[in-house]
Amino acid sequence: MKFGIFHELATPRPFTADSESTVIHNALEQVRVADEVGFDTVWAVEHHFLEGYSHSSAPEVFLTACAAQTERIRIGHGAVVCVREINHPIRVAERAAMLDVISHGRLEFGTARSSTWTELGGFEADPDRTKQDWDEFVRAIPGMWTQERFSWKGNCFSMPERAVLPKPVQKPHPPMWVTVTSAGTELDAAERGLGCLGVATASLSEQERRTKEYHRRIQQSNPVGAVNDRVATLNFMYCHEDLKTAATRGMSFLGMFGLLNSHLLFTREAYPTTGYQSLGGLSAPAGSKGGGNPGAAYGVPEGVCIGDPSAVIDAIKRWESVGVDQVNFLVNACEILPQEQVLESLRLFAREVIPAFRESGTDAGASAC
Amino acid sequence: MLIGTGEPEALSKGAPNMVSLDAEGTTFRDVVFVQSLFEIRSEGMCEMLPPALHPTLPPVAGFSLFEVSDSEWGPFRLVQLRIECRSGLRPRGLLVSAVTDNEAAGKALGNQYGFRVRRGEVELARAYDETRIRVGIAGRDSLCASFRGPTRIGEGDMQFVSSLHPANTPRGFRLVQLDARYAVHRAERAPLDLETFDAAAWGEPRIVPSLCLPAVIGRGDVTFDPLRFVCRSDVMAFEGTEPV
Repeated sequence: MKFGIFHELATPRPFTADSESTVIHNALEQVRVADEVGFDTVWAVEHHFLEGYSHSSAPEVFLTACAAQTERIRIGHGAVVCVREINHPIRVAERAAMLDVISHGRLEFGTARSSTWTELGGFEADPDRTKQDWDEFVRAIPGMWTQERFSWKGNCFSMPERAVLPKPVQKPHPPMWVTVTSAGTELDAAERGLGCLGVATASLSEQERRTKEYHRRIQQSNPVGAVNDRVATLNFMYCHEDLKTAATRGMSFLGMFGLLNSHLLFTREAYPTTGYQSLGGLSAPAGSKGGGNPGAAYGVPEGVCIGDPSAVIDAIKRWESVGVDQVNFLVNACEILPQEQVLESLRLFAREVIPAFRESGTDAGASAC
Repeated sequence: MLIGTGEPEALSKGAPNMVSLDAEGTTFRDVVFVQSLFEIRSEGMCEMLPPALHPTLPPVAGFSLFEVSDSEWGPFRLVQLRIECRSGLRPRGLLVSAVTDNEAAGKALGNQYGFRVRRGEVELARAYDETRIRVGIAGRDSLCASFRGPTRIGEGDMQFVSSLHPANTPRGFRLVQLDARYAVHRAERAPLDLETFDAAAWGEPRIVPSLCLPAVIGRGDVTFDPLRFVCRSDVMAFEGTEPV
């Protein structure tokens, strides 16, 4: 089992240079601590115009700082929006390769197509064709990284033969992922040999169903490049020796994050299309009010990694039991928790929780594909 | 976090009176419906909503039209103007006002479901390549819109969101939640051309359209469910939502 921290850079109002700077520099400090104490990956999203919820519009810049300030932790570009109006595929390949070089081969490369009208509308992108764009991006980019010179003729873009530079350090190329918000995208991932990067919390039973189907389908994949067959899920984490304290603090930022997310205008609401069959909201796992978890008495939903070390270990073991390889954690939102509490939580998690998985022999070792 | 800052008292002016909250469910068969949204200017987006609600980003308003060929009140057309919003984590549409061409239907919809509705002229003209809507209030055009070049979409390719109706109820002034279920038989998407929109005539002059979004024009059965929840307007929905 691998563990990551996941940054949206949720920012409190009013938005000032100070408030954004505080969020970004606190996040960088969390990354340095995570690197020191044994977390495996830091992820940063790409979002645009999502006031409050996410000010992470230039993750490649943020992640370059992460790479420069750390030694070991893997750098999760999670995920690049693969839509023609937002990013050009050549620029995506170039930036990602540069990040792999700067990080000495630590890049994890996530792909996505955005689920909000807030973003797609802002770029005047066509929701009907974002999946087609994403598909073309993920088929083309491995070639840009692995071929000395590359050419392409497609629907989304075309290019004559050119050398796309630099080339990534990892060979044949960095592990590729696709974000999975709604049911069915795990099949798109499997068919292309891409890792399954969950970014919307799913219930344990739903995750189990998706993971089983993903692993079955990926056996018959037509991979776009080197196969990455890992499954990651997103969770909230706050760890404290006292269960009640953990629940009170952890649920405060979870609740804030859910509210901020709910303000976004999801594509399905605004634009009738076959391309978006679900609202892409992120909240606590649906239909779970606690089950048998120790935090249930304090309102912590089933499977959410908020609690004392024992409760968090129990929650992660449940995710492990349904086939998840990596859990990525949101650790704060809008600076609801003071930075020192976040860092204490990360350190306690590393001290008390990570060893339970490293020692159990369930760690699969190096994460590069 | 963005929260509505509108005065509940202002919202309650002209609100319909409901003598009970135990309306039965009603199904309207083979309704022609039009659902059309547009982004609106963000100035005033919080002032237009009561403290129970949150705006969307970007703020959005929209209208929906029902053409009902048969009901206990006879045939009627109803056009609603709503501001899309959030109640807690849930997507909702706050009813600004509605117009109908059937007085009996309007009275019943107000009494039973809390529609703030008045009598007006509602015209719907459908052709193969164009649909047109006109709503007249007190002899003046308050809404004229056309939808040209429709393309067929799937029956499940659209989202319908429950409404919140400001109304005086036996529990006091509340936002009455109306859940409408759609069994869509056929649906088309077409770009909205908003030719006339008199926001003040609808009761909310701060609604200023800034970007039209594609509309859905369809046919299907629409069911108004029995009322399940009402919500206080002056506190957040987590605190103020009450089961019926």
